Amino acid sequence: MGRKKSPVDPPVCSLCEAPAVVNQQYSCRNLCTTHFINDVEQRVFQVIEKNRMIRPGDRIAVALSGGKDSTALLLLLARHLPKWQDVSLIAVTVDEGIHGYRDQTIRAAERVAENVGVEHSVVSFQDLFSDNLDTLLKGREEQACTVCGILRKKALVEGAKKVRATKIATGHNLNDEAQSVLMNVLRGDLPRLVRNSGIETADCFLPRIKPLAEIPEKEVASYLFIKGMFLLLPECPYTGFALRADVRSMLSGLEHRNPGTMLRVMESKKKIEKYLEGEKVSDPLHRCRKCGDPCSGDLCQICRLRLSLAR
Amino acid sequence: MKIILPDQGTRVIERGPDSVEKILHELGINPLEVIVSRNGTLVPENAVVGADDEIRIIRISHGG
Repeated sequence: MGRKKSPVDPPVCSLCEAPAVVNQQYSCRNLCTTHFINDVEQRVFQVIEKNRMIRPGDRIAVALSGGKDSTALLLLLARHLPKWQDVSLIAVTVDEGIHGYRDQTIRAAERVAENVGVEHSVVSFQDLFSDNLDTLLKGREEQACTVCGILRKKALVEGAKKVRATKIATGHNLNDEAQSVLMNVLRGDLPRLVRNSGIETADCFLPRIKPLAEIPEKEVASYLFIKGMFLLLPECPYTGFALRADVRSMLSGLEHRNPGTMLRVMESKKKIEKYLEGEKVSDPLHRCRKCGDPCSGDLCQICRLRLSLAR
Repeated sequence: MKIILPDQGTRVIERGPDSVEKILHELGINPLEVIVSRNGTLVPENAVVGADDEIRIIRISHGG
């Protein structure tokens, strides 16, 4: 005879009778540890396969900040690695030089890379741009995320090129992707809204892949917690300056009250992309007149930023 | 019930069994922005926790 159910017994898994650890409101399912881990790993693999993100011969630079998303990404890619022929991984960490924040996350990144047996490389703002972020931002802290975003993107590409990578994998999750869609709408930035950084047409770009793009942030964190890899790390001191912070809060409130909101935001983006297929929504690529990097205008973002920082 | 908050502060409250979601609501926390463990084990927000449990609320949203 079974034990009498207590009021504090957890809900049970929708696929077996084990205690549930996750409630997926958007799929109306409770999942136990085993089924949840399988579910996340399968969905990530399906996203990679469906979008042909990884091909034979690829050397994937995994952007590893040491935070939860990039840590989960590295674990998941390392887990699936034996399924792909002639594919290798290398972790690349960007050290922006943020006092009291980045040192701890770099140490976490080193430990994770060692743990999964993946080579690890660090590239710093100091080496690439002759200054760390803290120095660059003095007196313009409200621009922190814009400045850091532009420089970090450049640093990551340089770091990936240095280790001869063919692609860059980033840990953007479903929340990040839905937030970006809303931010681009709020800014009225149609070209950025429909830009696909995974396309390999431009010879000057390293394609980017986002294997976690369909996994909600809470599930990424839950995956790591169950794997015993969730770390409490300090928060970036510049976070409060970001438009993203407002959009994140608004979107998570909407998702809580209306489960499936983020998935519908992503569906809307796909529909807009489909309607605009073949339409010219941005200027053709040029070469920056100062550094020769690809860009849509006369100067690339880095050179424009350098000019504005010098003022 | 002992509750460890995202800022590492601790609260001990006298209450009977209640859902994680209700406790988070009373604390003004969106369940999608945290994960919650009961006595070290992950629990979903629709789980019910008891008077003797230690509940840890961990904030997951960071970064710019």
